[in-house]
Amino acid sequence: MDEIILGIDLGTTNSLAAVFGPGGPEIITDASGEALVPSVIAFSPEGSSQKITVGCDARDRAVENPLSTVYSVKRLVGKTVDDVRDDLAVLPYAIVAGPKNLACVNIDGKLYSPQELSTLILSEIRSRAELALGQEISRAVITVPAYFDDAQRQATRQAGQGAGLNVLRIVNEPTAAALAYGLDRKDDATIAVYDFGGGTFDISLLRVCDGVFQVLATNGDTRLGGDDLDREIINLVTSEIRQRFGQTLSFPPATRQALRSLAEALKIRLSTEDAAEIAIDLGGGKSFERTITRQQFESLIGPWVEHTIEHCTRALDDAGLGPADIDEVVMVGGSTRIPLVRQRVAEVFSREPYTAIDPDRVVAMGAAIQAGILAGASRETLLLDVTPLSLGIETLGGAMGKLIMRNSTIPCSAGETFTTSVDGQTSVDINVLQGERELAGDCRELGRFQLRNIPPMPAGAPRVQVKFTIDANGILNVSARELRSGREAAVQISPAYGLTKNEIDTMVKDSVVHAMADMTSHQLIDVRNEVARVLGAIDKALANAGDVLTGPQRDALDEAVTACQAKLETCQDPDELYAAMKAANDAAMPLTQAQMDAVLSKTLQGRAVEDLGPQISSE
Amino acid sequence: MTEPDKSSSSARPRKCQQCSATVEGTAVCDFCKTLNPAAAMMDFFSLLGLAERFDIDPEELRRKYLALSRHAHPDYHVNDNADVRNLHLQVSASLNEAYQTLRDPASRAAYLLERLGGKSSEADKSVPDGFLDTMMMMQEDVQDAVEASDAAELARLREVLQTQHDGLMRGVAELFAQHQQAVICQAVTAGLLEEIRQQLNAVSYVKKLIDLTR
Repeated sequence: MDEIILGIDLGTTNSLAAVFGPGGPEIITDASGEALVPSVIAFSPEGSSQKITVGCDARDRAVENPLSTVYSVKRLVGKTVDDVRDDLAVLPYAIVAGPKNLACVNIDGKLYSPQELSTLILSEIRSRAELALGQEISRAVITVPAYFDDAQRQATRQAGQGAGLNVLRIVNEPTAAALAYGLDRKDDATIAVYDFGGGTFDISLLRVCDGVFQVLATNGDTRLGGDDLDREIINLVTSEIRQRFGQTLSFPPATRQALRSLAEALKIRLSTEDAAEIAIDLGGGKSFERTITRQQFESLIGPWVEHTIEHCTRALDDAGLGPADIDEVVMVGGSTRIPLVRQRVAEVFSREPYTAIDPDRVVAMGAAIQAGILAGASRETLLLDVTPLSLGIETLGGAMGKLIMRNSTIPCSAGETFTTSVDGQTSVDINVLQGERELAGDCRELGRFQLRNIPPMPAGAPRVQVKFTIDANGILNVSARELRSGREAAVQISPAYGLTKNEIDTMVKDSVVHAMADMTSHQLIDVRNEVARVLGAIDKALANAGDVLTGPQRDALDEAVTACQAKLETCQDPDELYAAMKAANDAAMPLTQAQMDAVLSKTLQGRAVEDLGPQISSE
Repeated sequence: MTEPDKSSSSARPRKCQQCSATVEGTAVCDFCKTLNPAAAMMDFFSLLGLAERFDIDPEELRRKYLALSRHAHPDYHVNDNADVRNLHLQVSASLNEAYQTLRDPASRAAYLLERLGGKSSEADKSVPDGFLDTMMMMQEDVQDAVEASDAAELARLREVLQTQHDGLMRGVAELFAQHQQAVICQAVTAGLLEEIRQQLNAVSYVKKLIDLTR
């Protein structure tokens, strides 16, 4: 029997897997019938090492352990710290700059790249599937947003490899969804897939004919999703609280985590009800209450929804189609449960969107179908996808010289000839870019490719033919040949945003001290901010509920806080400072827990936490 | 240089490199369905099994492209060895480029022109007589409308330019037809190729102006 290929939907909010069975795609569930695994990772100390939990248990601990519970990792994949500024204020865990300024998560002084965190989620998915299927799994198809760039695709593939999976194919999520929807479709039709998930938005236009799914155009934003809608609610609530109780009021990580849960619950409730109430106990006799109507909610999220519509228009333009040419609109992703979203999509395409398959499961089902195609189990269906972004090289004067246009069907390739400018020169540097802007500086730098082993010749004599090939995964491969000598030129790649294998290995192995030593003062500032927030939270908690502590607990906490305060003033070592904060935070645990219990029971107004499952911002 | 009216059905039989069967067609052996290793190096018309001419049926082009994609696409070959996988990657990339080039009339014309021995747009930048004069005025109108953000005027200009564009492309089609006749009659074709080049240069000029109106 052929070994199974797992189809995995690695989502911002939830992840799940499916396999291609005799009767088509089958979703993998656990013993209790649950398919969705929250894409949440919790770290807790266990002896000298850290215990790592993934999924529901991790999510349920998020409010208690805001600093050591990581979610929405997908928003950080392949991004620098500067790219994710918007998220820093909202995410309770510590995002710091790792190698090449890449966004990394600091857990208890140890740095984790988004890629490693994705590996942890994928490992969990893999072991669940192995348990459910009773066999070992080593091959997978993983889905990504269609608008993911090369660095984000590479990082996802490497995350799979880290989880012991040979990633046979990276598939675009909207295309996977189309596969799941188009199973029995044999006639000629043009489909729009509107995929609004927890962290990303994609629109893909496809023509389906005789089992061939041909993508005509795709557009999107890899940082536009349910998380942004939640943030609108959080910003509204925090700014109103500050207006009422003082602009300097700070929100410690636990409160931010609670606010996030509150925003998510509110969003879900307003999808079915016309109004919802919020009540937050801020401690010290302060409380905040407010009613939010669906109309207010819709005006808050309206601009984000309009952004998605702009992407739809661009995709239609690129495909040379008008809304009237679309035969069917398919909705994917948890954010498409919001009535305003459905209404706007229906208006734009002048037809009711199709929602027959559970938007949380449709992508995993499509991944399983693609796995079936690769395994040879399904020869009826073929997918012809496109590359979302133009690929080019930096030319003289810093312009972007496009070699492959966006929406080109993949695989595709383009060639370019380079020469030398100095006598005897044996290597040439090429800067490879992805994006639509005119200037190289405005595009995403994929990396610097160095052509080596060029035979020494007079300047301008060598002719190095470089071939850029984007494979069916949407990932770039580069090969080069010197035409006069016929010699293969070596291509040395240093990715600008991705990490090389060595860098990943080093990051995994490195102790705290080494990883931190490389970092700039930027990280120290981040850690300091974190410490200030934690100390503020402890102060407030002590004022509100200090009496829950026993005498020895109180003494231990005071000592830890004093030590931490002293370190905050003087300490230049982020590690040491972090350790001091950790000690204070640990000592404050009984206090934090008591306070959060009170906040939660108030804000959720008697609703059990389980009722507020991830029904909306999942992918 | 070209064979007159060579349709795909009358293409010369050739041997499959895999099974040695005598087969019709080009990129794929009809008998064993193996990809011809030479497919990646074929010209776009041969690769798609089409006669080398400007006037092609877009539906036939699309049908052939999709049918060939089934044979060429790497998805059905992930379990094969690296050489086979690489061949499918190369041929598939070539097929996609061929389809993209031949589908759009202007890029199809430019590709065919160079195959017929015509000059590239870099080598010959000339445009038809009188074209620049009319375009200067159009360009000024477009710039004024863009500066004034006059959407209605931009839409009107776009329509005028589109009509101009369509007229130029009809001219290109007519010139290619004349060229085909000239080849059959063994008449001189060089002048026709130069004229096609000029028309195509005018087309890209008009296209740039149309882009400005968006």
